[in-house]
Amino acid sequence: MDYFLIIDFVQSLLDGLLFGTTYALIGIGFTLIFGVMRKLNLAYGAAALAGTYIGVAATFAFDAPPPVVFLLSALGSGAIGIVVYYCCFRFTPTHYPMASLLASVGMLLFIDEVVIHASHGMPLPYPSVFREATIELGDIWVRGDLLFVFFICVVAMAVLFWLLYRTPLGLATRAVSQQPRAAALCGIDPTRVNLLTFGLAGILGGIAGAMTAAAVGVLSPIIAMGLTVKGLIAVVIGGLGSIPGAIIGGLLVGAAENVFLMLRGVTERDIYVMLLLFLFLTLRPGGLFGSTAGRD
Amino acid sequence: MDFYLGLAQIFGVHTLLGLSAYVVLLTGQVSMAQAGFYAIGAYTAGAMTAMFGLHILPAIVIAGLVSAAIACIVGFPALRVKGLMLVVATLAFGEMVRLFFFNLTWQVERNGDRVGPNGAEGFRSIRYFPENGWEVWHVTVFIWFVVVVVMGALWWMDRTRAGAVLRAVGHDETAAQSIGLNLTAVKVGAMTAGGFIAGLGGGIYAHTVTHIEHGVFGVLLATFAIAYPILGGLGSVFGTLIAVLFIQGFLIEGLRFMGEWRSLLFGALIVLAMNLRPHGLLGEHAPRLKNLFGAGPARPSDPLSTKEAK
Amino acid sequence: MKLKALVAAGLVGASSLALATAAAAQDKTIRIVGFGASSGVVGIFGQNSTAAMSAAFEKINAEGGVTLADGSQARIVTEYYDDRCNAEEGISVLRRIASTDALVAIGPTCSNVAEPLFGIMQARVDDESDTGLQFPVFTDVAIKGGLAGISDWVFRNTPSEAAMYDELFGWLRETHPDATTIFGGVEEDFAHSRASWYDVMKTAADKHGFELVGEAQWLLSDTNFSNQVRGMRRAEPDIVAISAHPFTTCGVLREMARQRVEPEVLVGLTSSSSLETLSGCATEAEGLTIPTSFAPVNDEARAAAEAVVAEGGQMDLHSASAWENAMILKDVIEQVGVEGTAESLEEDRRKIRDGLAAMESAPGLLGTNQRMPDGEAVKPYVFVHARDGGWEVLHNPGS
Repeated sequence: MDYFLIIDFVQSLLDGLLFGTTYALIGIGFTLIFGVMRKLNLAYGAAALAGTYIGVAATFAFDAPPPVVFLLSALGSGAIGIVVYYCCFRFTPTHYPMASLLASVGMLLFIDEVVIHASHGMPLPYPSVFREATIELGDIWVRGDLLFVFFICVVAMAVLFWLLYRTPLGLATRAVSQQPRAAALCGIDPTRVNLLTFGLAGILGGIAGAMTAAAVGVLSPIIAMGLTVKGLIAVVIGGLGSIPGAIIGGLLVGAAENVFLMLRGVTERDIYVMLLLFLFLTLRPGGLFGSTAGRD
Repeated sequence: MDFYLGLAQIFGVHTLLGLSAYVVLLTGQVSMAQAGFYAIGAYTAGAMTAMFGLHILPAIVIAGLVSAAIACIVGFPALRVKGLMLVVATLAFGEMVRLFFFNLTWQVERNGDRVGPNGAEGFRSIRYFPENGWEVWHVTVFIWFVVVVVMGALWWMDRTRAGAVLRAVGHDETAAQSIGLNLTAVKVGAMTAGGFIAGLGGGIYAHTVTHIEHGVFGVLLATFAIAYPILGGLGSVFGTLIAVLFIQGFLIEGLRFMGEWRSLLFGALIVLAMNLRPHGLLGEHAPRLKNLFGAGPARPSDPLSTKEAK
Repeated sequence: MKLKALVAAGLVGASSLALATAAAAQDKTIRIVGFGASSGVVGIFGQNSTAAMSAAFEKINAEGGVTLADGSQARIVTEYYDDRCNAEEGISVLRRIASTDALVAIGPTCSNVAEPLFGIMQARVDDESDTGLQFPVFTDVAIKGGLAGISDWVFRNTPSEAAMYDELFGWLRETHPDATTIFGGVEEDFAHSRASWYDVMKTAADKHGFELVGEAQWLLSDTNFSNQVRGMRRAEPDIVAISAHPFTTCGVLREMARQRVEPEVLVGLTSSSSLETLSGCATEAEGLTIPTSFAPVNDEARAAAEAVVAEGGQMDLHSASAWENAMILKDVIEQVGVEGTAESLEEDRRKIRDGLAAMESAPGLLGTNQRMPDGEAVKPYVFVHARDGGWEVLHNPGS
């Protein structure tokens, strides 16, 4: 019995960590946008989902192979991210964050409904790779497709780091996020940086959406809300504006969720996750890697 | 006729929900916990009438007080954080409340039936109104009586020092603190008032629909709660009312003839409204507000000055 | 491509509906209105119901319409209101319908709308002290057990899951004598799926001597089922019952394939015997056995299914009820002698209610539906299983 408990615990932790990478990607997207604009984009999860549907549409249109589907999902989501920027952030006042917050809520509802309208709310099959592959380490089973998801997410993060820290564009992005006015004085066009950030965040969201769908094998509009909430939680645990924080936050959320599921059952699972989050926030308001406590 | 009266009931209940978020928003806090307080109010008032046979008026007052007490307790830790952190902290609280009711089974025997919350299946037959001979228009008058009292109280508060204090904190915390305002007291006070109003609204809601379940009180409802005051404008209580009429009356009921396309327009029109009227449909034209805004040393959400102010 | 066809068919259906409504204006008409979710995540239910209702009314009108009390013929006109699966909207929609000259409403689709909606209606007919709404409602889709008992004005033509699963497990007992254990998986936060497992399947399985070796729960929007399925794997059940809607049913089936859980029999929830499960995971669903109150097993059922597809919908156990409701209402209207004038509106509604209440049986697509005193129905059913990307009849208990 005890042996099974330990095995279960390790297995839950492992599954949770692997799944957590998708939360981490969404978290990074939120943090990127928040970093440069100091604003919350609630349409983000829905945009990620819509991008994933663009990938699925490709399988219907010309029987696209999985890598093409994943790529289209990511690019589609990036494009939708840019649309969201124009619809909700470009023309709303910069000093009144509530306007863009509500606009992004409207966008969330709109994108969700478009997806539902186009798909009739039907769950659609989503291609996955290594679906049958399972690595068995004794009684611990590691899912091949989740490892693939994990790998893709890690690659996406690595590329993001390279973009942010090794390219002029990344330099500009970081400059705007640190001191928008100074950056503008140096000749950096904030609109361009904002656009880039939304596109980039959208691509990350699309990858997260595609990987979630690939791990489940089915795509349905109901996963958008879950992605949004989990991503937000990952960000605040990690600390706003911190990319490593978002990664660790995402993994923590994934792991905590799965362990509580094992220990307390599904109906109480989220209570404990939320309680932990609430306590964490009030005891350490800046998050794990946040530089300042409770900054607006 | 009953259709329009029923619609007026929905307007009333949603106005209360919006006003509960309005009070908290005045202090600059975006609280996603209002759906949670609304749920507490709904289940409490439902239990009072359906399980213990109380009259509706004491039932909703008790519901309001219970919600207010919980809002007050939650306010202390939650308001240590600001901005996005607060959004997520309150969201977490709201979800906790919802999941609590998801797991809550507590039924008593009444007239041979088991009455009370039954976990995921919800709390059914909260039929105080039809069972006690209330016609639809009685209910509508009752709801609007409560709404007018709450709106009147908030309107009056807005013209007194209390309103100025709330808005001062909302516009610039540092400045408010430097003139000697107790930030924690103001914020927790607003949260408590918001909790009370949400509790009233939830209590009435439970009776207008007769059956409540956890799924209703999710993130979407919390989003609507803050959407009403923001969409209507924080200038006065009438902003919230206008936004409720716009969303419930025009977007939901008025566009019903469009069938499936209505839901598509719903989100798109909110986006459009926020682009055309970013400060809300009625804007922020309460005079007191403008003075404060001009007099404040720095615009609060300007990223540069926020950095300096920290 | 399938989607495109669906969308196109939907558009054609909607426009022909609009034309039919316009053309009918000058004749004598009877209005029967549908409502339910036709947008949002569960919008497909409402869209199918709309198609089934308009196909049925078209058939009735083509055959001359309904006969009124004075012997004249009237056409049936209809429309469909979207409640987005929201309780407040559902109530508002029904009040709106009651404020028009509609005689009876067919709906709603969501159990979580049905329960509050029935609560605002007069609980016991002729109870003067109860001021609830007095308007007959004949439900087609919302399936959660026992709801019609809430009000005397409510009737349902949804299949009785209790009877269906009882028969199913009895049949499994006979055909799989060596199967002894069962494992249940439940979508815990959806009223219907939850009630179906705890109150229906579990009881039925126990009654027929299957030993429960475990239960696993998950939520509507969950995406990771490895813990739940691991429990399933350890229990090594002969039968796995999944009481969940298509999205998580597919997720669980995939996880089961991954963890190589291969029970002898897979049992699914009635609502999953639709196109959605197959569109989501046809391969994994292979062999999934579900009792359903509709399958195109006879000429009438096949013709009805074709008519609904022509209207841009799909015929499944839910929309079949919408079709049957339309047909039953026609019979009721003719039997009770509805006058169909503006003055007799209240009276006509009451007559329809009494007519529905007095019915002991009603014709259905698969045979005779028994009408229960509490307003529920017990409908004939068949067992279907997923095979080669379609639902195939496995066993017909009625034959």
